[in-house]
Amino acid sequence: MYITRRGVACLTAALATVWVTSAAAQEFDWKAHSGETITFLANSNPLGQLLIDHADEFEELTGITLEVDSYQEQQMRQRLMTVMNARSDEVDVFMTLPSREGMQFASAGWYADLTPYIQDSVSPDYDADGFGKALMDAATFDGQLTAVPLNIEGPLLYYRTDVFEECGLDAPSSLEGLADTAAKLKECTDLTPFASRGLAPAAPYSFSAFMHNMGGQYIVDGESAMCSPEAKQALTLYSDLLKNYGPPGVVNYSFQQLTALYSAGRSAMSFESSNEFGLIMESGDRLEDTAIVPLPEGPGGSHPTVIGWGMAISANSANPDAAWYFLQWASSPEMQAKFALEGIAPPRAAVADSADYKAWLEESPVRQQWHDALAILAETGTSEIGYPIIANPESREHIGQAIGDMLLGTASVDQACAKADTALNELIARD
Amino acid sequence: MRVEQNHRGQMAAMSMPALVFTVGMIAFPFLYTIWMSFQTYSSTGQVTGWGGDNYLRMAVDGQFWNGIWITLYLYVLSLVMQLVLGTGLALLLFRAKRLPGIVRSLFISPFMMPPVVAGMMWLVILDPSLGAANWILTSLGLPPSAWLASPVLVVPTLAMIDTWQWTPYVALIVLGGLQSLPPSVYEAAEIDGASRRAVFFRITLPLLLPTLVTAMILRSVDLLRFFDLIYITTQGGPSNHSMTLNIYGFRVGFEFFQLGYAGALMVTLSVLVLGAVMAFNRLRAAVEW
Repeated sequence: MYITRRGVACLTAALATVWVTSAAAQEFDWKAHSGETITFLANSNPLGQLLIDHADEFEELTGITLEVDSYQEQQMRQRLMTVMNARSDEVDVFMTLPSREGMQFASAGWYADLTPYIQDSVSPDYDADGFGKALMDAATFDGQLTAVPLNIEGPLLYYRTDVFEECGLDAPSSLEGLADTAAKLKECTDLTPFASRGLAPAAPYSFSAFMHNMGGQYIVDGESAMCSPEAKQALTLYSDLLKNYGPPGVVNYSFQQLTALYSAGRSAMSFESSNEFGLIMESGDRLEDTAIVPLPEGPGGSHPTVIGWGMAISANSANPDAAWYFLQWASSPEMQAKFALEGIAPPRAAVADSADYKAWLEESPVRQQWHDALAILAETGTSEIGYPIIANPESREHIGQAIGDMLLGTASVDQACAKADTALNELIARD
Repeated sequence: MRVEQNHRGQMAAMSMPALVFTVGMIAFPFLYTIWMSFQTYSSTGQVTGWGGDNYLRMAVDGQFWNGIWITLYLYVLSLVMQLVLGTGLALLLFRAKRLPGIVRSLFISPFMMPPVVAGMMWLVILDPSLGAANWILTSLGLPPSAWLASPVLVVPTLAMIDTWQWTPYVALIVLGGLQSLPPSVYEAAEIDGASRRAVFFRITLPLLLPTLVTAMILRSVDLLRFFDLIYITTQGGPSNHSMTLNIYGFRVGFEFFQLGYAGALMVTLSVLVLGAVMAFNRLRAAVEW
C-alpha cells in the first residue's frame, strides 16, 4: 500500500474534523437543563399542533418539562400581551410572526436576543447557517435575532382540476383572468367559484398579493397609498371576486372556513395559506383532484406573499437557557424534516433536499406542486402584509375594513380607500 | 362596654378577608383602569403622555358612537325578547306542575352551557354555506340567509342566540316570583269572575313587577358588557356592524396596544352599566309592594 504526503494530510484533516465534531457533540449536553420546567405559548395552528404532538420527544431528549399554553392565533397574542405588559415570567418561549408583530414586539423589548445563543450554544448537527437568509433577516431587528424560523408559508391558489377539466378551463394565467375564470365556473358548476379571506383582520394576508401583483404599494413617499390607481384596482378586483363569485357570508371568512369549504369539495378555487395543505389533504378526498399554483402575475409582475412563523424567547423569561433548548429542538433539521412530511414547508434548504422529503413529494403530484409553488414564493415573494410600521396589526384592520365595506356594498372603492387612507395616515404619523 | 368593644373588634377582624378581597379584586383594577385612561400610550405600550386626550378622542371617534349604538340596540332587543319569552316559559312551567324533571331540566339547559361552546355551536349551525340553518330554509323552499355575515341581521341574530341561552334563566327568576304570589288575591279574583286575561294583566303582571325588575337588573349587567358570544362568532364584524363598546375596547387595548384609550372606553362602559343598575334599582323601589 502506497500513501502519499497529500493523502496523509487529507487523512489527518479528516480525523481532526471528526475529532472536533465529536468533541463538540460531547460538549453539547442535551440534558444540561434536565429537571427544569419551561412554558411554551403556542398558536394552535397546524404547526403549533405538531410541536405539541411531538413535545414528549423533547422532554425525553432533554429531561426538561414542557408546559404548553395553547390558543388560537389572536387569543395567543392577547395572552402574550397580558403577560409581557405585566413583565411576568409566566411564558418562556412563544410562537411569533415577525412580518406582523416583529417590529412592534422588538420595539417594546419583548424578545430576548438570540444572537449569542445561535452563535455559541448549538448542537453540532443544528446547522445554524441552513436557514434561508431572507427569513433570518426578517426576524432581525437592530442587529438582534429575535426569532428562529419554523416554517415558510404564503397564500396559494388551490383549484379543482376535475372541475376545470369539466368546464374546459385552464388555470388562470393572469391576475385579471381570475375574474373571467370565476365567471365561467359560475356558469358551469354549482361550486363556489372563488373563495378567499374576507374577515377584516385576516383579509390583508390574501389581499396583499393582489395589491403587489397589481403594482401597488401600501406607502408611497411616506403617505398611505390605498387610493393609488393600482391599489384601487386591487381593491376592486379582490372585492368583486368575493362578492360575485365567493361563498355567502364571505365577509366573515378566515382560514378555518376556507379550509372547511374547500376540503368539503364546495369551492372550485381557494386562495389560502400553504400551511393549510396538510389539513386540506388529510381526508384524501382532495389529493387527486387539486392543483396548486402561486397567485397569477398581474400588471405589476409577480410578488407573492411569503412569511414564516418563528419561535422566540421572552425577554422576561426566568429560564432562557432551557427555553433555548426547546427552541433549538423545534427548529432543528431533524424535527423540521419530520414536520415537512406533515405538510409544514421547511425553512431549511437542506431539509427540502432530503431523500425522505423528496420521496414524500413524489408520492403525489399535488405535493410537488405545493412545494414548487412555495419555492417560487421563497424566491420572489415579499413579506409585506399591511403597512411596514410598528402599528402593523392596526394597519391591517383598516385595510380589512375597506375590503369589508366594499364586500357589503356600503362603500364605493373611492369612499373605502379614502377612509382607509385617512386612518392609515394618522397611524403613520403616530408612529 | 369592654365586651362590646371586643365584639366590634372581632367583627372587624372577621370582615377583613372580604374587605381585602373587595379592594384587591374590584376596587384596585377599576381605579387602575381610571388611572390608565388618563395616559396615552405608543404602539409599543410605552406611556407617552398624561391628560384627558383619550376622552376627547372618544367624543370624535365614530367607532365609539357606533359601539354605543350597537351596545344599546343589542341590549334592548335581547332584554325585551328574554323578558317576554322568559315570563311565558315561567307561566308554562308554573302551570304544568306535573312536568317530568327531565323536561324541566331540558328547558333550563341552555344557560348552563358555557357561552363559548354555545357560540361555536351556533357558528356551525348558522354557517351560510355549510350550516344546518340554511339547509332547513332551502329545504323548505325559502331563500338562504347570511345570518351573522349580514350587516342587517347580525345584531338580531346575536340577540336570538343570547335569548336562546338566557331565557331559561329569566324564566327561573320569574318562576320564583310566581310561586311567592299570595293565593288569596287569585281566590278573590276568581270569586269576582275575572277573566284569565284580566287576572294576568291586572294581578299577575303588576305583582310580578319587582321580580321582573330584578331579572332586568341581572340581565342588564350582562347584556351591556356583552362579549364572549360576539368574540367567538363575529369579532365585531361584518365591518363593525356588531362592534359593541366592550368588543371595541378589547380590540383597541389587546390588539392595538392603545391601553389608555381602551381604559377610557371601559370606564365609559362601566358608567353606562352603573347608570342602568341605579335606574333599575329606583324602579324596583317604586314597584315594590
